[in-house]
Amino acid sequence: MTDSSAPGGTMIKCVVWDIDNTLLTGIYLESGQQLPDADPQLLGVLRELAGRGILHALASRNPPAAAEYVQQVTGTDFAAVECGWGSKPDAIRRIAADLGLTPDALAFVDDDMLERAEVAAALPDVLVLTPEDAAEVPDWPQFSPPVITAEARRRGQMYAERRRRQAAAAAFGGSRDDFLRHVGTRITIAPAGAADLHRLHELSVRTHQLNSAGEPVTEAELAGLLESPECRVVTVTLRDDFGDDGLVGAAIAIGNGGSPPTVTPAGPPPLPPAAPLVVTVPLAMMSCRALGRGALDALLAWLCRSAAATGAAELQVPCLVTDRNVPMRLALAAAGLRAEPGSVAADGRAIFARPLTGELPALADWVTVA
Amino acid sequence: MTGGQAAGVADELRAVLAEVTGRGELLGIPVDTPLFGTGVGLDSLAGTLLLRQVQRRYGVDVAAEDLNLDSLATLGTLADFIAARI
Repeated sequence: MTDSSAPGGTMIKCVVWDIDNTLLTGIYLESGQQLPDADPQLLGVLRELAGRGILHALASRNPPAAAEYVQQVTGTDFAAVECGWGSKPDAIRRIAADLGLTPDALAFVDDDMLERAEVAAALPDVLVLTPEDAAEVPDWPQFSPPVITAEARRRGQMYAERRRRQAAAAAFGGSRDDFLRHVGTRITIAPAGAADLHRLHELSVRTHQLNSAGEPVTEAELAGLLESPECRVVTVTLRDDFGDDGLVGAAIAIGNGGSPPTVTPAGPPPLPPAAPLVVTVPLAMMSCRALGRGALDALLAWLCRSAAATGAAELQVPCLVTDRNVPMRLALAAAGLRAEPGSVAADGRAIFARPLTGELPALADWVTVA
Repeated sequence: MTGGQAAGVADELRAVLAEVTGRGELLGIPVDTPLFGTGVGLDSLAGTLLLRQVQRRYGVDVAAEDLNLDSLATLGTLADFIAARI
């Protein structure tokens, strides 16, 4: 998985558009009742690039209603919108941070020469274009990704869903759980299958904030784990009324006491294990799209409960301790896992553990275990 | 550190919590309110935003100093943790 450079420059992943006299054929605030139309040529460019998995964003000196209007007349899902009277370089920096992109993956299109000059000076890595240039970019190599996956094509739509979800959350008064219920959150935890291997590998490479292991797992390694009787690999899928995010997370759980105790209805009760059975989780990971949506809490609660159900006395999650995956450590702490203070090993990992007695983290009622 | 300092930090933390969760009622929580679970219900996202604000305002990197994040047990424990370092 590389962000490879195409001939002629880095691949552009997001185009940031000005509105007035760029995407629109006039000025939004100066048009009275008759609002300007979308520029027909740039409309074609918007659609063509979106089909290639390139995101679109808006940066405009206008009220937010202008963005709504542009969204309507262009039929485009904008991944990020910055409307206001601040500087364009600041707006572009916020868009880059919000989408997790570096400036060299951005292009900026504006009809105003001064705005273009300001962005070019403040952000020299951003590709700065006139609307006339922008009309031709579908032919440029930086705008022609070699492979376009189905997920890439849906990317703009998913960011737009996220934007609508965030706006709804900001307007919602209750707790996070009330909000998750209100928007019809559905989380499903299910055994992984061969068809999931590619996505699981991809997640292991791409996730950082919510990743305990901090190193990628290959498809071959994952396939081996699926075959192993002591090992369970589960996937987490997530959707709500705003959209379907698909497979967003996974965990690997390994019991150290051999196969879990099997209870035969007629036979004698199984002997208690000689040593306390421990279930170890070498990897728990979740896409940052799922942050704040209860998916990692659900996965950790399920890990505790399923380990307890096999008769294990303790759940252990070895976790890399870095400043990048603090969100993972927050979730571990919330699920009641603790590490021995000062126990961070030379490889940067500490073992976070919890006993599986007493009250275990609850599975919310929007979680289904398949 | 003084008790007064911790109380001042706790007031500021209430405002941060209300902001990162969007829940105004958190402005009135007692200092012994748990931050995880049934109290504030802090999750990865809200927790990360809270720690970022703490670092920005007080220069205290809680995650770097507290492996288990036990300082986040209650509003009061976090306020004490910060007040001891400023």
